Amino acid sequence: MSKRRKARRKPPARKPPQTKTASSPTATSKRRPPPRGARRGVLPRWAPWAGVAGVAGVVILLLILRTTSAAAPSSAAASDVIAGVTGVPAATFDAVAVPGNLVAPHALPEGTPPIEVGGKPLVLYVGAEYCPYCAAERWPLAVALSRFGTFSDLGQTESAGIPEAYPHTPTLSFHGSSYTSPLITFQGMETATNQLGITGYGKLDTLTQAQQQLFGKYDAPPYVTTATAIPFVLIGNRYVFNGAQYLPDVLRGHTAAQIAAALHDPTSPIAQAVVGSANLLTAAICTVTDQQPKDVCSSAAVTAAAAKLTA
Amino acid sequence: MRTRTASFLVLGFAGAGLAASVYLTIAHYTSPRLLACGSSGLVNCERVTTSQQSTVLGIPVALLGCVFFATMLAISIPSLWGRPRFRWIRLLAASVGMAFVLWLVYAEIVVIGAICLWCTFVHVCTFGIFVVVLFEASRPPQR
Repeated sequence: MSKRRKARRKPPARKPPQTKTASSPTATSKRRPPPRGARRGVLPRWAPWAGVAGVAGVVILLLILRTTSAAAPSSAAASDVIAGVTGVPAATFDAVAVPGNLVAPHALPEGTPPIEVGGKPLVLYVGAEYCPYCAAERWPLAVALSRFGTFSDLGQTESAGIPEAYPHTPTLSFHGSSYTSPLITFQGMETATNQLGITGYGKLDTLTQAQQQLFGKYDAPPYVTTATAIPFVLIGNRYVFNGAQYLPDVLRGHTAAQIAAALHDPTSPIAQAVVGSANLLTAAICTVTDQQPKDVCSSAAVTAAAAKLTA
Repeated sequence: MRTRTASFLVLGFAGAGLAASVYLTIAHYTSPRLLACGSSGLVNCERVTTSQQSTVLGIPVALLGCVFFATMLAISIPSLWGRPRFRWIRLLAASVGMAFVLWLVYAEIVVIGAICLWCTFVHVCTFGIFVVVLFEASRPPQR
């Protein structure tokens, strides 16, 4: 060890006592440097600012992450999506028929009064754009209804993100759309958007008093098992159900265009779920249209589906 | 910032945080509906306090909050404020608390998709403690 280091380690106690003279403070400071940390803190002066900036940066990053993961608002459906949904070939309907794992509409009791609007049986759908099961159900409903009439101004959207189940399920939207048919009247009501605000999802369509009465009466036991659940579908005075006919999981990872294209491939799981469900809906609708149109209602798939409807 | 002021600031934040944490702990063990907070939309205390992220290894995070704020109260009293050893302990505790809060904010915003106002109040208290302790740690010790 060098002499210099030895001198530095000399214990202060051995130093001569210091007196309070004019020259002593200078002498002391030269011989005894203040202990580490006496003139400054344990952190550098910039550390607090870096800490605050770091916390703010993380929170801003999380908020950006949240914003980018929010569901996209609805827009007009793309032409290839509309073409895919409304143009499913009859051969595809027959090839898919009715796979066994689909939920069929429940029959209403005999003697249920007619539910008609404009002299035609009413098909009422009540759902919401944030709802993942509604997202799943719109596909077969749109496919089935396209066999009885024509949609215009269909929307395209996706279900809400987390915390909803099956987040961002691609789908159509009936909000703002219109439907014309010589056989049935369709009313598609989307009660809420997929945009989550401070107090909930944004309001969209408001049910009319008549729709509210039907929803309140038939979306409750004994007609369905769970009260006020959506999606709710009422087919004239014959059939009713709430919830999706199949799990939205089958649509996961696909775009709306891919789903629409897959509807034309009878072997695809999407066609099995969507077109199979549409066959069941078609069979239920045929019961209120006196089996019209004949080519649709007497097709092999619809005949098979009619046999699976709960009596 | 004077030493005494910093000490009282931390005591204030820790006291307020402890009160809110005790309230959240009671709500956790009784009913989440007890919380005076929204239960739909983005602000949804019930969804947050009943989520999977509301416990760590079976311990409610509200209870961990109680322990944290009680510890900060104990080590931030004016007579201990200037002691170098407690400076380090406070800095370490505040940093761990802040890191935990950032994880909770991540859970709320990204995983759960809802914000709990009471939890946010606790987070603000922790951030306040973190800021005061950081600034104190970057200043020469004063007695």
